[in-house]
Amino acid sequence: MENHQEPIALSSFLIERRSLYHVKIVVTIKLVPNPNAEKRIDPQTKRLVRTGVETVLNPYDEYALEAALQLKERAGGDTTVTIFSMAPDSLKEGLRRALAMGADDAVVLSDEALEGSDVSATAHAMAAALRTLKFDLLVVGGLTDDSSTGAVPGALAEHLGLPCITNARKADIKGDAIEVERETDSGYQTVRGPLPALLTTALTFGEPRYASLKGIMGAKKKSIATISLQDLSLDRPVGTNGSKTELRSFAPPPVRGKGKIVEVSDGLSGAQAIFDFLADKRLV
Amino acid sequence: MKNVIAYAEHRHGETRKVTFELASEAGRIAAALGGKAHAVVLGPGSEQLADQLKSYPLDTIFLSEDADVEAFLLDPIVDYLEAAARIAGPSLVLIPNTLSGRDVAGRLMVRLHAGTVADVVELKVDGDAVVCTSPKLGGALITECALRPADYGVVTVRPNAFAVGTGGAGARLEPLAKPAGKNYCAVVERDVEEGAGELALEEAPVVVAGGRGLGGPEPFDTLLKPLARALGGAVGASRAAADAGWVPYNLQIGQTGKTVTPNLYIAVGISGAIQHKVGMRASGTIVAINKDAASPIGEFSDLLVVGDAFRIVPELTKLVETAKGHLS
Repeated sequence: MENHQEPIALSSFLIERRSLYHVKIVVTIKLVPNPNAEKRIDPQTKRLVRTGVETVLNPYDEYALEAALQLKERAGGDTTVTIFSMAPDSLKEGLRRALAMGADDAVVLSDEALEGSDVSATAHAMAAALRTLKFDLLVVGGLTDDSSTGAVPGALAEHLGLPCITNARKADIKGDAIEVERETDSGYQTVRGPLPALLTTALTFGEPRYASLKGIMGAKKKSIATISLQDLSLDRPVGTNGSKTELRSFAPPPVRGKGKIVEVSDGLSGAQAIFDFLADKRLV
Repeated sequence: MKNVIAYAEHRHGETRKVTFELASEAGRIAAALGGKAHAVVLGPGSEQLADQLKSYPLDTIFLSEDADVEAFLLDPIVDYLEAAARIAGPSLVLIPNTLSGRDVAGRLMVRLHAGTVADVVELKVDGDAVVCTSPKLGGALITECALRPADYGVVTVRPNAFAVGTGGAGARLEPLAKPAGKNYCAVVERDVEEGAGELALEEAPVVVAGGRGLGGPEPFDTLLKPLARALGGAVGASRAAADAGWVPYNLQIGQTGKTVTPNLYIAVGISGAIQHKVGMRASGTIVAINKDAASPIGEFSDLLVVGDAFRIVPELTKLVETAKGHLS
C-alpha cells in the first residue's frame, strides 16, 4: 500500500495551523489505591474498598502525563494538556497532583451508574466521553496498577477509530503525524502514524517530574470539570449490568511463610547451604 | 462460546513456549465446551510455525503469510483475528499476555463485543460459563471471574501458567483471505531485535535477579549471568538496578516491570520492597542472598542466606556446574 501524500501546500498549512493555534493533548489518568497500602475487598459488593485508602495517580499514568508534558514543551505554541479521568466525584481532587505537574485542566466522568463496570463497559463509557473532548493526541498509561488488564488503550483506539501506537519510549509530533520509537517484546521499532492518534507510554519515556511549588499553587486555580452519563448518549448499559464479566470469588494468595535464615561467614558455606537446599527440593 | 482459538504470536516463524501452552489449553477447553480448538498464525513465517502446531490438539490452523502484518502496527493482526473468529463462530480467544498480546486483546474485545479477563493462570468450564482465575492488585488477591454467556470471549493468558501437551492428529491448514477495504496507517519504519537468543524472562524456569546490593552493572554480567546459565535460567533485576541504569528496563521485575513465576527465583542483593515482591511472589521456590538479616525479603523467602553475595554466588555457580557435569 502506498502512503497517501498530502499536497505540500496543504500539509504546510496544517503545520502552520498547529503551531499558530495548538496541539490538543488529552491524558487519561486513573486514581488508584496507594499500591503500598493494604487492599480490602467489600465481601458484599465484591469491589475494592476505595474509601479510607489513600488515592494516588496510577503509576503508569504518571509516565503518560510526563510524556504529554514533554511533547507540549517541544511543540510549543498554545499546546494544551487536558487530564481525563473516570472517577467517583469524591476522589476528583486527587487530580490536583496531575495539574500541579503541569497539566492545564481536567475533565472527570463521574456517575454512580458506572460503578461495577468491567473493562468493556469502562472503555465504552470512556470513549464516549473522550469523543466530546476533541484532541490531536490521546496519551494513555500502559497498565493500571489495580486491575492491570491492559486492555483499555486498545479498546479506546478501537472505539474512537484511532491509530494505536503503544509502549512509546520516544515520540515527536511532526506536523500532522507522530513519530514514535516503541519497545517490543524483543527490541524496539520506529513507527509513524497520522494524528489524531492514541499513544501509550513505556516507563523509559522518562521519570515523572515532581510538581514545583509554583505548580502546586497554580493547580489550585485550574479547572476540574465534571460530566455525567447524561451528557453522553451511550448505546449500551454500563456498570455491573453492562458488564460482560462477573467476579465470582476472590481470596488472598496462599500464605508464603517465613523460611529458613542461615548466616554464613564465607562464600563456600553460603553456596553449600543454598546448593543443599535446592538439591533437597530437586531444583539442581 | 463453544470453540476456542489460540493466537500464536511469532517472529518470522520463531515463537515462544507460551504459544504451545495456549495451543494445548485451547484443546483442553474446547473439549470441555464440546467445541473445536483452532489456532491463528499471522505474518511471514506462519507456515513454518503452523507445521509445528500440527502436533497439538487443534482442528484448524488459520494462517496468512501477509507481509502487511509486519509492515503495519497491530491493525492487520486485529483484522485477521476477527476474520478467523467469525469463520470459527462463537469462541473464546486465547491471547498471550505479552506487550503486543495485550494491545491485540483490547481491540479484539471491542470488535467481537466480547468480555475480557486478563493475566489468566487457570481456566475452567462451569455450565455455560468459562471461569478465569487471575491474580489482581499485584498478586494481593486471586480472583475468579466468569465470562458471562456470550458469542465471544477474549482472555490474555500468563506465560508459564499452563502445561504443554501435544497429542494432535494433524490439524487442517486454512489460509485466511486478506480482509477487504482496509487502509492501514501506522507504518513500522524500522524493526530492531535486541538481546536475541536470551531466554524470555517471563518464561524462564529459573530467574537470578540482582538489586541495589550489587553496586553497579558489572556484577550482572560477571556474577549473575554465569549462575543463571548454569541453572538454565535468565537474569532479572529490581527497579533500583534498572533505575540506576545498570540493566535495561526490560529486565526489571516488579510492579512497574515484569511479573515472573519461575520454579526457582534467586534474589541477590535485593531488599524485597513491595514494588519488587508483587512481580515475583508467585515463584515456586524463593532463595535470597543478602548481607542484611533483617531485609524484608526474608519475610517471603524459603531460604535467606545472610552473607557476601560476591563470594557466595561464584561458589554456588561452581557447585551447580559440577553437579551438572556428574549428571551428563
